[in-house]
Amino acid sequence: MLVLTRKAGEGIVIGDNIKLTIVEIKGGGIRIGIDAPQDMKIYRQEVYDRICAENKEATQWNLADLNSLLTASLAKEDR
Amino acid sequence: MNKIMTRFGEVEYDPRNTLQFPKGLIGFEGLREFIVMPNIKDGPLFWIQSIDDPQIAFVLTEPTNFFLDYRVAPDETERSFLGISEKDDCYVLSVVTVHAGGKVTLNLMAPILFAPASNRAMQVILEKTSYTTKHPLPEVA
Repeated sequence: MLVLTRKAGEGIVIGDNIKLTIVEIKGGGIRIGIDAPQDMKIYRQEVYDRICAENKEATQWNLADLNSLLTASLAKEDR
Repeated sequence: MNKIMTRFGEVEYDPRNTLQFPKGLIGFEGLREFIVMPNIKDGPLFWIQSIDDPQIAFVLTEPTNFFLDYRVAPDETERSFLGISEKDDCYVLSVVTVHAGGKVTLNLMAPILFAPASNRAMQVILEKTSYTTKHPLPEVA
């Protein structure tokens, strides 16, 4: 991993079309400005990680559970 | 017809009818092609089976079955990725997590956009939303 030291107001350019600027450093937080093309998705790491974890968890099911769920939802509609 | 052996048994499918995830799902970027499994019983849930990894299958549902005001529309980038225009239909699906004990939650934070016209789908992340990855089904009064 490339590690760089930056001060508030300084920036980093990645490739041809991504610019990061350190807007403010305050307490334990750093505000980062990101200039990137509209079609480039930018996510907070923890949000992305949460979706990965949820998708992994969502693969852990078995056919018996699904069958009983479908039976239960059908029973509700019948009422 | 092709056949694969899955953890649910042998599945036969028409390779022309598979669902394409050109970027995979989040955390499963290598899984590009899925079979949509027909409902075993009528109901809001169905599942998609990965062709690339026979161990992997996801339960999906249309979230508007449960959350009437849930709306997600593809932006221009997403439409172009799905290979559709503004006039084409785009369905929104949610990944269902079946927890031990039978509790069910929907991942409303990361819906799947599906374009029937191209058979392409993608999972997107809604960051500015109050919906979560584990949204419980609304209580039925």
